Amino acid sequence: MTYDRKDIPAIADEYVLGLLEPQDAERLEDDMEVDAELRSAVAASRERFLPLDTGIRPAAVSDNLWTRIETALPEQTRPGHETPSRPANDNRGGWRIAAISAMAATVVLGVGLAFSLLRTVEPVVVAVLVNEAGDVQAVVEDFGSEQAVIRMLADFEVPQEKTIQVWTLPSRETGPVSLGLINGIRSAQLAGPALPAPRSGQLYEITLEQAGGSPTGRPTGPILAKGLAKLAR
Amino acid sequence: MAERLSDVTISEHDNLDAALVACAGGDRQALRGIFEREAGRLVAVAERIVRRRDLAEEVVQEAFLRIWTHAHQYRPDRGSARGWIYAIVRNRAINLLRDGRREHTVEEVEALMDKDAADEVMAAWHNLDRTSRLHECLHALDGTKRHGILMAYVGGYSHGEIAGRLCIPLGTAKSWIRRGLASLRECMA
Repeated sequence: MTYDRKDIPAIADEYVLGLLEPQDAERLEDDMEVDAELRSAVAASRERFLPLDTGIRPAAVSDNLWTRIETALPEQTRPGHETPSRPANDNRGGWRIAAISAMAATVVLGVGLAFSLLRTVEPVVVAVLVNEAGDVQAVVEDFGSEQAVIRMLADFEVPQEKTIQVWTLPSRETGPVSLGLINGIRSAQLAGPALPAPRSGQLYEITLEQAGGSPTGRPTGPILAKGLAKLAR
Repeated sequence: MAERLSDVTISEHDNLDAALVACAGGDRQALRGIFEREAGRLVAVAERIVRRRDLAEEVVQEAFLRIWTHAHQYRPDRGSARGWIYAIVRNRAINLLRDGRREHTVEEVEALMDKDAADEVMAAWHNLDRTSRLHECLHALDGTKRHGILMAYVGGYSHGEIAGRLCIPLGTAKSWIRRGLASLRECMA
């Protein structure tokens, strides 16, 4: 869902205090995966309240608690790497409305896409990226097999030391994955990492990152536009 | 506009970060290290919320499985490693509470909560490091707002439970807590 940016610190605090309704808390946990500002606000809130926990007198723990934990531990099958499982679910709130309002634009754009940079090959999915106001900003065509194209349809002001980075969320467990950086504000062909075939409903977004791309491998800057993929037909 | 990664205070550059990386790589001793260092406090934190030692241990047991299976997801932009670990325990404890999976009847739970909970909340407040910024800023709040915030964080009370215990309407409880939290953020900024 879309949060009014000014409400983010308050929502983060209520989440950390356990005051959100369970379904809202779950939604926020999803949104944190793609919203760096929200993630940062939750992290800051946790740190603020942590002294109330770390100052507590430790309880005497049952002798067998560690054994109970250890016997239940699964093997780490993919050391140090993500294990994709749960699907992304980010089709929410204001962004959903924005996406619906952008659907008409999709039809028009479909015509334009005939001029796609890879016109001989059909994309697997197409995602129309809209900003918070619902204005179409860019279109991503993902061909799978590590190839994607982004067409920029709006002018962005990109400061000297910044760059626009393209992301997708193959699954919640994997988290956001960079498809690449855009040179300036022009349309570009992207050669991303090997990922599962793009799905209908998969999230794509562009964020403003420092030159060279996000230092953490996750979106850290503001989201410029995002949208959910549709299967190309 | 956005609070950026660089703005997040990463106060805990201790080896819990390294332990999580080792856990993601399959090192059980690293998880055991976290357990030995934090389990006593984590059980105590969970017990303040679920009110029973056996349930608190169950919470911590589940939380350690989750720490193990999700260690690969930890990144510094999610806050300190310690904050991340405590948040997993807190979330599990609150979920247990809200799911009503306790074996007590409602009446027993109410009785249990009212018997000790006020003490627990006050104890957390009195044990908080007086030189900490959090203490200073909570102290600056008026009593009801401070109490509401502590009841939520320390005891895992919902808005409705806080309103009931403080004998104020639900809407009032919500808005006092919201305003208290805003003052707290401003004070700690």
